[in-house]
Amino acid sequence: MVAITFIAADGTAQTIDAAPGQSLMENAKASGVETIEAVCGGNAYCGTCRVYVEPDWRAATGEAGEMEMPMFEATGDDTPGIRLACQITVTPALDGLIVRTPASQS
Amino acid sequence: MNTAAAACPVNRGRDDRKSARLADANLAPQAGARVIGKFFASREVLRSAKVRQAGATADMTDISKPGEISFFFLDGDLHRKRRAAVAGLFAPKTIVTRHQVVMNRTMDEIVAKLQGRGSAVLDELSWQMAVDVAADIIGLTNSDTAENLALRVKAVLDSSMDRKPGWLGNLTFGAKMLIRVGRFWKHDMLPAIEARRKQPQDDVISYMVKENYSKKGMIMEALSYGGAGMMTTREFIVMCAWHLFEKPELLTRFLSGPEDDQFAILEEILRLEPVATFIHRRAAEPITAEGEAAMGHGEVVAVNIRDANTDEAIAGACPFELDPDRAKRMKVVGPYMSFSDGPHRCPGAQVALHETRIFLDRMFRLPGIRLVNEPAMTWNSYIQGYELRGAVVACDPA
Repeated sequence: MVAITFIAADGTAQTIDAAPGQSLMENAKASGVETIEAVCGGNAYCGTCRVYVEPDWRAATGEAGEMEMPMFEATGDDTPGIRLACQITVTPALDGLIVRTPASQS
Repeated sequence: MNTAAAACPVNRGRDDRKSARLADANLAPQAGARVIGKFFASREVLRSAKVRQAGATADMTDISKPGEISFFFLDGDLHRKRRAAVAGLFAPKTIVTRHQVVMNRTMDEIVAKLQGRGSAVLDELSWQMAVDVAADIIGLTNSDTAENLALRVKAVLDSSMDRKPGWLGNLTFGAKMLIRVGRFWKHDMLPAIEARRKQPQDDVISYMVKENYSKKGMIMEALSYGGAGMMTTREFIVMCAWHLFEKPELLTRFLSGPEDDQFAILEEILRLEPVATFIHRRAAEPITAEGEAAMGHGEVVAVNIRDANTDEAIAGACPFELDPDRAKRMKVVGPYMSFSDGPHRCPGAQVALHETRIFLDRMFRLPGIRLVNEPAMTWNSYIQGYELRGAVVACDPA
């Protein structure tokens, strides 16, 4: 399993054991991370699984893709390191990853 | 009763679905298609980059001229680009800040109409809501009246549904479409396009004007968005109302709970009563996978949404029972496969859920609201889904 920590806007941290091969969003939902809504089920159509990747991990998670950008524009969220958790596939290389979540997804 | 229901430890497999029997009697996947219904296998197929649209009229559509066809029939980068260009129109924030204004305004009119007359046909009210919201997103806001716009869109869509096979059927279909699409173009599309050439707005037509879409391309795109948004939401609203009218405890929960819980109720009804049933895909190259998701080159599968939504692997025990706490308990996203999945997942899913929630919340708070006549349920073979007509609701006068 891969340890990933979600830090909510109020500073509360939750570390989950994530399964490689699934998206970060699916792992968060399965582990009860409540700050991840993901109302579209992981298709990059709602922008409610936004996470902010800590600077040291941005190279490992990669840049936001073409489908993610319209969601960031629609939500008006331009926080550095922003990604949609549904578009990040968990791999063993992400063991120790830290992401922050917004105060409100929608 | 199937094995899943028989194994249900609670209530001996109670089946709360209203449309299941009609669906079982009428379901007809495309000839030659292999039907699959396991949730995870279905999702793997729908999310695969190796499949292409199939079914409906996809196989007859010439994709060599992408500027003349709807995004619905495209795949890959071109599809992604066209979807991404208008994706913001369907984002939750846009719904809350913009579309809810339209939804509430339409509900004001619907409530006034219902209280003024004392009773009304429910699917006519839900149609009005669905048309108004879809028209605003598309940009069809320069027609003479919203009622006439709705009639013209309905006439075009009805022509598509009524198409009969054979040369006479094709001739009749062509003649009807020529007239009806001509009216839609003249009275609805042209005024909207001219207005947006002068003053672009944030809607689908403004995007098409900016990208120099052909006349045919604009009509196809507008009707695709309109058809999907209007037809399916009309049925969904009536189906949810029907369930709530006959389940007082569920209605009490709907009216007393927060929005999240209202959505959970609506999504659970949609899980059991998806408006469309089949999604067809053709493999452009072989898919290597275990079980149902494996596909040979050129093979067509029909994903059965009803089966996927009631697969115990994702829905848990008692899959045919209406249980609004199910998705949270199973830690999954509420609508399951009802809005499809993958690149072609319905972009308007959240819009449909929000307009349904607002419609029902307002209607069920009207003094004396009651269901006078239950709807008649018929089968639409074109979308392989149910239609609910003739339900009459009544309320106390204002």
